[in-house]
Formats: sequence, structure tokens, C-alpha cells
Amino acid sequence: MDKLLDNDLNAQAETVVGPSVKIQGDLNSEGNIKIEGQVTGKVKTSQSVFVIPGAKIMADVMAGNAMVGGEVQGNLKISGHLVLQGTAKILGDITCSVLRVEDGAQFSGKCVMGASNGNGKKAATEVEPE
Amino acid sequence: MHYYIVDQNSLAVDKFEKLQTELSGLLAEFKVAGEISRVTPLRGVQELVDMASQRGAKTLVACGNDDTFNQMLAALKGRDFTLGFIPFDENSVLAKILGIENVFAGVKTVAGRRVEKIDLAKIADNYFISFLEFGVMSHRLKEAGLWQSLKLLSSEAKAFSIRIDDSYSVNINGLGGLVANIRAKSNQSEKIANPTDGSLDLLILERMGKMQVLAHKKAIADGVLEKVPNTTVIKCKKIEFLEPLGLPLTMLGRVVAKFPATVEIIPQRLRMIVGKNRTF
Repeated sequence: MDKLLDNDLNAQAETVVGPSVKIQGDLNSEGNIKIEGQVTGKVKTSQSVFVIPGAKIMADVMAGNAMVGGEVQGNLKISGHLVLQGTAKILGDITCSVLRVEDGAQFSGKCVMGASNGNGKKAATEVEPE
Repeated sequence: MHYYIVDQNSLAVDKFEKLQTELSGLLAEFKVAGEISRVTPLRGVQELVDMASQRGAKTLVACGNDDTFNQMLAALKGRDFTLGFIPFDENSVLAKILGIENVFAGVKTVAGRRVEKIDLAKIADNYFISFLEFGVMSHRLKEAGLWQSLKLLSSEAKAFSIRIDDSYSVNINGLGGLVANIRAKSNQSEKIANPTDGSLDLLILERMGKMQVLAHKKAIADGVLEKVPNTTVIKCKKIEFLEPLGLPLTMLGRVVAKFPATVEIIPQRLRMIVGKNRTF
């Protein structure tokens, strides 16, 4: 799983939001998105999203796969793999089919998982924190 | 019918006459002779394109430097031609992009007639197939010395405000950047600056330390900004440059517009004769 995302991370992303960038609005892309700055609004791609440590997203994220090392305030709807790195801070609900959480990651919200996820209709597991 | 627009531009008379003679001979040799018209103070590129259209020419070939080709693009006004380029200038960026090194290769390419459909970009009343530069990138860093580059690239960042695809706004403190449709270092397998993908690529450089400038000077001078850490890369169809007001956007050193300005892409608009060594 990580190999897939690592390969995407090392490849040239179609959209790269640099550290000093602030984006407001709906960020749509057909390729991989790498976020190092701040995004307010929505983030959408059928490919992978990488939220680099230090990045801050106040937006709902919809993507094929995602690796989060920064802060996300919003819902994550991932149809494939989601990796929360040790530096990740999520304040919102998660929907994905495969989830990996590393030591130190902070997550506050609802998590819905299932094989044919994305819309959450055929979710196999639902975990709600207290 | 082929219609050749021959432009002396800043070439010395003797060199221009020599190239023109070479061109005429090669056109006959490769059996692609057509009408040759020379740009004069009374008959500019616009008038010659109009004349080509009236004569029913199907193929329009700019013979001169990059500016000749760009003027020809601006003069098309939606008319349908297959376009070619024969460089009279050995430093031509377009020649590198199209894989045409000199007059001989240019004529051979026209005769070979390998046609590619490529995207056309528009800013104000200007059209271009290559790239635009702004901020520090307008300073022709390739020709700048080491100290000049260090000074420019470690200067104060500007606050840019840019709107993308009528969908989101980007605020960034950066040095400058470029809008690329094609560039001399493009490659079809690469995602950036692919002229057949129906998109523009906006690359914005952030402020750097001196060591970083030294490490990435070549990539910056070549416009391969995505290789420089912290560079913002955005693929889009429409870019509205909003601030800082009055900042020039340049094409090969020539100012074509100032902020605020809008750049748009027209996908697959041009039929272009290209060489086999083209960069896309």
C-alpha cells in the first residue's frame, strides 16, 4: 500500500501547492496533488493527495488515495488507501477502504471503511470515537 | 500551396541575403517551393498572412526568428492554416522546441510534413505556443552572471494574487514564474509543459537562500522550475493574474501584457509541422 503512495509521492505531482501558498476555493485536479501550504474550500482528484507535514487544509478532501502528514479540518472521502502519518492531525470524518494510522497521528471524527467505499453505501465497518 | 513569410528582423543584411538564397535553393531541391514574401516596413506580417489567405495558401511558414512566428500566430485571427517554422536565428527557442536546428533542417521538416495538433495559448490579443515569464523569470537568467542571478533570486518576494479556472484563488509570496504551454526542455512523457494535454502549467518560484540558488541555478535558468524545492505547480485552463498591478508578463524578453491579465488555452487549435527531434 505504502509503495503505491510512495511512488506517487516521488513522481512529479500535477499540482503542487508550495509552503507559502494560500488557496481559497475548489481545487480540482485530474492528477496527483501535493499540498505544502494552506487550502480553504474543497480538494478533489481521482488520483492521490499528499498533505505534507506543516500543511493546513480547512476543506473536504475527495481523492483516490491520500497520505496525510499535516492538519486537515474537514471530511476525507478516499476511495482507496489512506495513510495518516505520525504528524497528521484530522478533525473530521474519514471514509476509505484501507486505512493505516501511524503512531502519534491525531484523529477526531467518525471513520467509515469498506471494500467498495467512496460513497459509503457498502461500508463494512463503522467506528465512532467517544 | 506553401506560403513563406521571410523576415530579416535584426539580422545583418549580408547574413540575411545568404540565408534567403540558401532557403530558395533548398525549397526547390526539396520540391516544396511556393510563394516567398519578404516582410518590409510597408508590408508587415499581418498583411502577408492576409495575402496568403487570399491566395488560398494551405501551409504558412514563418522564416525568421521566434518573434516572426509569434507575429504570424497573432495575425491568423482564427483562419485555418498548417504552420511551419524555418529558423534564421541559431538561438531560437522555438527551433529547439520544434526540433529544427537550422534552415536546412527547417526545409527538410516542411518537406517531411509531420503534422502535430497542438494547443494554442492566448493572452490579450497575443497568441503563443511556448511560454510567458513574470517577476524574476523575466530577467533572462540564462544570460545573467552568477552574482546577478544570486542577487535576483534572493531578492524580496512579491505578493502574487492569481485566480485559476474561475474556481479558486492563489495567494503566494514568490519571486516570479512562468506559464508554459511548451518549453525548450519539454518532453511528451513529462506532465509539465505538454502542448497536447489541453492545459497550461503555471510554475511559481518561492524565495530562496543563496545555497539553494547555487544548487538550482541551471534548472531555474532552463525554466524547469518544478525541479526546484517549494515551487508551486498548477495545471489549469485559465489563469487570471490579478496582483501586483502593472507587473509585466514577457515572451522571450518582450513585454506582451501587464497584470491584470488573463491567459487561456485553446486545446488542439494548431496544426504544426514539427521535426523528429521536437521536445514534445
